Amino acid sequence: MEASTSTHADHGAHDHIHPPPEGFIRKYVFSLDHKVIGFQYFFVGLLLMVIAGSFAELIRIQLMDPKGTFMSFSTYNVMFTMHGTAMVWLVTIPLVTGAIGNFVMPLQIGARDVAFPWLNMISFWLVPLSAITLFSTFLVGAPDAGWTEYPPVSLQQGVGGALWCLAIILVGVSSTLTGMNFTVTVAKMRAPGMTWTRIPLFTWATFSTALINMIATVALSAALLALFLEHAFNVPFFDSTRGGAAVLYQHMFWFYSHPAVYIFILPAFGVISEVLPTFARKPIFGYKMIAFSGLAIAILGFAVWAHHMFPSGLAPWLQIPFMILTYAIGIPTGIKLFSWLATLWGGRIHFTTPMLYCLAFLITFTFGGVTGIFLASVPADLHEHGSYFVVAHFHYVVAGGALLGFLAGVVYWYPKATGRMMSERLGKLSFWLFFVGFNLTFLPMHWLGLEGMPRRYASYEYFAKAFPDSVFWNQFETISSFLMVAAVAIFAFNILWSLRNGVPAGNNPWGARTLEWMIDSPPPYYNFKKIPTVLARPYDFADPLPYLNLDHDVDPYPAPTEAALQPARARA
Amino acid sequence: MATTTLTGHAAVEARYNDVDPVYAETRDMRLLGFVLVLFSDCILFSSFIFAYLYLRTSAPVWPPFVDGHQLPRLDTAFAAVNSVVLFGSGVTMHFALENWKNLKKGAFNMWMILTIILGIAFLGGQAHEYLSAQMTWQGSAFGASFFTLTGMHGFHVFVGVVYLTVLLVQANRGVYTGSKYFGLTAGTLYWHFVDVIWVLLFYLFYLW
Amino acid sequence: MSAVLIERGLAFVSSIVVGVTATFQLRNELPVRGLDAVVTKVLLALMILGCVLALLASVNVLGAAK
Repeated sequence: MEASTSTHADHGAHDHIHPPPEGFIRKYVFSLDHKVIGFQYFFVGLLLMVIAGSFAELIRIQLMDPKGTFMSFSTYNVMFTMHGTAMVWLVTIPLVTGAIGNFVMPLQIGARDVAFPWLNMISFWLVPLSAITLFSTFLVGAPDAGWTEYPPVSLQQGVGGALWCLAIILVGVSSTLTGMNFTVTVAKMRAPGMTWTRIPLFTWATFSTALINMIATVALSAALLALFLEHAFNVPFFDSTRGGAAVLYQHMFWFYSHPAVYIFILPAFGVISEVLPTFARKPIFGYKMIAFSGLAIAILGFAVWAHHMFPSGLAPWLQIPFMILTYAIGIPTGIKLFSWLATLWGGRIHFTTPMLYCLAFLITFTFGGVTGIFLASVPADLHEHGSYFVVAHFHYVVAGGALLGFLAGVVYWYPKATGRMMSERLGKLSFWLFFVGFNLTFLPMHWLGLEGMPRRYASYEYFAKAFPDSVFWNQFETISSFLMVAAVAIFAFNILWSLRNGVPAGNNPWGARTLEWMIDSPPPYYNFKKIPTVLARPYDFADPLPYLNLDHDVDPYPAPTEAALQPARARA
Repeated sequence: MATTTLTGHAAVEARYNDVDPVYAETRDMRLLGFVLVLFSDCILFSSFIFAYLYLRTSAPVWPPFVDGHQLPRLDTAFAAVNSVVLFGSGVTMHFALENWKNLKKGAFNMWMILTIILGIAFLGGQAHEYLSAQMTWQGSAFGASFFTLTGMHGFHVFVGVVYLTVLLVQANRGVYTGSKYFGLTAGTLYWHFVDVIWVLLFYLFYLW
Repeated sequence: MSAVLIERGLAFVSSIVVGVTATFQLRNELPVRGLDAVVTKVLLALMILGCVLALLASVNVLGAAK
């Protein structure tokens, strides 16, 4: 009889605990442990976020003055290119998939590691390698055509443009391998009894994300390989004088880059689905709808790419289906949103820091989603494309959505990863600074965009003559953005300070019900001494915990602990 | 359970009296992972094939004009022979694996060597195609798509030839025992995959 | 005997040989279960299609006349 594919009726390879890694290099540098790799992704991602964020601050300083005298125009172009490139590929995707995905998902399914730990390690190390390749372009002339690097403009950049292609291909390989790794892990390594409809929603989200990662990223590698060939060998894919087509690049690029935004957001959706029930002390509403809507978003996400290309000369018969499908993709997201609201309804809400991030997410992501619906309409998009309205939209969904969800996840799982609580006081401070700063920075951009302020312009001098108020608003946005800088700085400090000084967390400070909370904080290297058996979904708060064979005796009705509910105090 | 006939890996385990559930689970995962990697490789080729289809269907005339002369169509007859050489290597690879499963090491070696030779012959044929091609990589969308796609494919064939050689050496050094020969299965799947990509490229560039 | 004729003849004969052999291999694989067997069957079937294409090319039904 062929081996069962859904659960492990007979415990095979996964009962075997390998000996612990020895030596500093094996334990912390070239580690095969998904938890260590998760930490590595986290710290590298944060560092890259600070770097990419500094580029953004330089952009904002430039925009204080409509004449744009702070930097040269070509430097400005490099700044927005590198900000976007690094944020998309070196920060967001590594953090949401590599950091929290890696750390949490195997624990949630009762596994000892991912399916292919070696590939996991390689996936991680490709990220710093890619970052070095990308930033090395500063030495030879950094790319300056925007993170999208459309030819023919991008072909004028020389070596820098070619290196950009290589850097992103490298991080693309990292993503593809991670996607394959996570897909096989979730498909094959779940604990006995964990059927597909008993999987925690963060793992469902990670699985849907992994599918997108695995399928879409290769299409990006193809687009960038073609661009690289044109840079390096003058191969005319995108040169219309020799039979190529510039818009072909756009098709190839966006076929990946649209699903990429679902890679950003689906793990954040997964975090929300974990945090809300825990802090509302209520089962998640509509488990199946949330799980399957994630899959629907993953699949439908491949069908909408050309909404980034409405002004590129597409035939109308092509624009309309893309418009309709783009509207349609709001539906599964809406299903999730209403399920989350129904989860909160009638719950006993604990306003801990992770919960604050989630509630803020519900506001800012929805707002960003609605402006996305504006942009989905072809006539509206023809007006708004290339304006600050688009900039506002995607920052609301990425920074106000994916980043907030990610931060919620970090604060939520920090006690599990480190055995300490983060400081609630510092946590709430950095949350409010970020939330206020973010909204003050990006909200006015909607209005500026509708009035016609173009994006990617080093100087908006002529626009400012027509709309003098824009100078005030740009300066307002710049000052407000420093609130976000303060927020990130305090958050980073909180992370590091709490490692030593946070209140000891215990195994389950939040009173949560998924498997990762049933083991020690931090978990031992082997995660589970005995692989538990799962009897039901984790979210039914009225029922006892649905697990057999746990390593520890746990309270069948876990509740938030004192450590969780009090603000953390420094050790005397 | 006793009434169903065992097939696939389970049959091989039974034949060797080598039932190992730990290995079977690992093999299961590695097989799925490998198939998923092949699938993503499919996407890589599909993207470039999309590019070729886009450029070809939006060109006013095909093959396109370069320097005032229309490029000639590609030579079908030679490519047909070369294609069958590659398809033949797929058949020989399948024989090799079947013989391995039936413990016939000598036959396995023979068929593997034949597969590798046919693979190298295909590459030789491609080299001949490249040298006698009338268009250049840089000159037109035709050259760009043809050389890039067949080049990527040829690179995959080259990697495959190296891979199969390594597998042959490993098999003879006793790395694969009894029912534990996942590397050979993976190699066979990879080789068939490379074969099938060529079917598509052969049709798109030579027959359409 | 021009080179083209030899090539076409070779293609004709060999595509039949390879295609028929592959068909028998596919037939033998049909009852086998498992992911690797499914993938093998699909790929063998497509390969047989390839042999059919090569056969049609060798008799000038498909492809440019040369």
